[in-house]
Amino acid sequence: MGAIWDQFVSLFTNVLLLIYNFLGHGGNAFGVSIILFTMLIRGITWPLNAQQLKGAKAMQDLQNDKEWQDIQKKYAKDREKLAQEQMRIYKDRGINPFASCLPTLIQFPIIIGLYQSIIRALAASPLGLLQLARSVYQVSWLSPFLNIATLIPLNSRFLWMDLGRPEGIPFPGGFTLSFLPYGFPTLAIIVALTTYLQTKLTMPPSTNPGDQTAAMNSMMSIYMPLFLGWLVLNYASGLAVYFVTSNVLGIVQYAMMGRVNWRNVLPGGGKPAPAKKK
Amino acid sequence: MKRFALISLVLLGGILLSACSAAAQSISWPGLSADANHAYLAKGQFVYAVRLSDGSKVWQYPASGGSQVFDASPVLTPDGQLLAGSAGSDNGLYSIDPATGKDKWSAPFTGPDHWIASPLVLQNTIYAPNNNGTLYALNLATGGKRWSLPLGHSLWGTPATDGKLIFVPSLDHFLYAVDPQAQKIAWKADLGGAAAGSPVVSADGKTVYVSSSAKKLFALDTTTGSIQWTANTTDWVWNAPALSGDTLFASDISGNVYSIGAVNGKNAWPVVQPDGPVTGSPLAIQNGVAVATESGFVYAFDPHGASLWNIGVGGNIYTSPVASGNLILVAPLNADFMLAGVSNDGKQILWKFTGK
Repeated sequence: MGAIWDQFVSLFTNVLLLIYNFLGHGGNAFGVSIILFTMLIRGITWPLNAQQLKGAKAMQDLQNDKEWQDIQKKYAKDREKLAQEQMRIYKDRGINPFASCLPTLIQFPIIIGLYQSIIRALAASPLGLLQLARSVYQVSWLSPFLNIATLIPLNSRFLWMDLGRPEGIPFPGGFTLSFLPYGFPTLAIIVALTTYLQTKLTMPPSTNPGDQTAAMNSMMSIYMPLFLGWLVLNYASGLAVYFVTSNVLGIVQYAMMGRVNWRNVLPGGGKPAPAKKK
Repeated sequence: MKRFALISLVLLGGILLSACSAAAQSISWPGLSADANHAYLAKGQFVYAVRLSDGSKVWQYPASGGSQVFDASPVLTPDGQLLAGSAGSDNGLYSIDPATGKDKWSAPFTGPDHWIASPLVLQNTIYAPNNNGTLYALNLATGGKRWSLPLGHSLWGTPATDGKLIFVPSLDHFLYAVDPQAQKIAWKADLGGAAAGSPVVSADGKTVYVSSSAKKLFALDTTTGSIQWTANTTDWVWNAPALSGDTLFASDISGNVYSIGAVNGKNAWPVVQPDGPVTGSPLAIQNGVAVATESGFVYAFDPHGASLWNIGVGGNIYTSPVASGNLILVAPLNADFMLAGVSNDGKQILWKFTGK
């Protein structure tokens, strides 16, 4: 399993290095590589994201459905019967309750693989550099583009960041805060904001006060930005570049699909549509 | 159920990313040096002094773990100090009393970045290459900064000297010759690839040998930096070759071992390939050369490349083996011990040091 995962990370590393090579190794090239690579990943997982959105929308619609709400009340004390009825409705309506989870499951290894490939490519230690040297594909037709001698060392600078380290803009006058050792966490705030925006903008409205999906979405819209912001505070800023790019592209994708709910980000917005009857 | 699954996923992601973050720290293979009676092992949060007679611990520095991460080989100085650079967030270069394990300077010298390379001591000055690409010249007695010189990208290789110039390899593909009197670069030579390991200077001081990721070994004139010869290797010779008389023993990360003429750059051996990649420098021994492989073995070859002996030590060996007395010291990674004392005839492991 470890060897397969290593191959997966190596694949990501080689793609990143190929893009970096095509960009000419210059200043900001690795940051731009991460952005382009994220766009590539987003492009590949576009159908999955669309499926996730459709699945989430179907589940949300179901929460507002009269028949669904009725069986919740009717079988509130009989969980087994409730589960049977829910399965029947899923089947009748052609809804896969896991359709919205599967793409998330698939994206997690991609996020972790990308993070590991960024760290591997930046090779902050001799052991890391050795691992990088071995990860680079030794294929003759790729050798003009993936030559370890010319690729190393990678330029890890991107805008004001060192992509191999957590981001922070030093406080003026040498001021320090122990809980913000890298300075003012600009990127962590941007990641948290764009994650919040993405979650809010793509959250369908709900009429049902007992709607579990809506309650979970609401909870996730708070916890996910905080969690990702915390990650960015503590881990290599290359990951933050991925998060910001991915969030922005996510919003763009949802907007292109006509699913963005701009009212959700306005105070008091996101008023629910009336419950529909089957 | 779905809520539980999502929260679990987020937590799992956090845990996995936390595991990955180890790579973000400068965690690498251990550093090792020795005198006649003790081995000095830099590993993780501590530097250990180990008695060579029985493999027991004499002291560890610091007494309890802090923010230090010691990877670079500790350096014994002529005036009785042990210098150890940290690749941890403290960025400290420490002077330790090798007899007691206590600090010798009033405070460590704090660099702007990690210390991955070991420093070089010449007369009463320490020349310490930092990961930020700057060479620092420090007062040997106090650790105070005398001057500094920005060179290039990260400096990971321990400098070498001919007594006049300081030769500093860099990941930016250059070998820099620094004139310590003028405090400037005397010359620099393009190696066509990153130089992560150390150079070595010939006994007469006229030639400096260094390798790079371009899969080449170079012999350069120490005065001018002009290339005397270039030897192609199958893969990257990571660390300094071992100079023994007129022969350079070198090894690469594909596991090939070479015997290269120091004068003409010709490899005298057929394919000699023990069972794994070699990152450490070969060790010249009385009747040939020994190399330690990633597969956890030490192999010895005679001057013609014929096998003398081999011994399985365990773990993955990336650190250069060190000889002292009748021992070959080996510091593996990923083993249930930190250091092994192998008899120099390769017949047995005399002791293992576990850190306790």
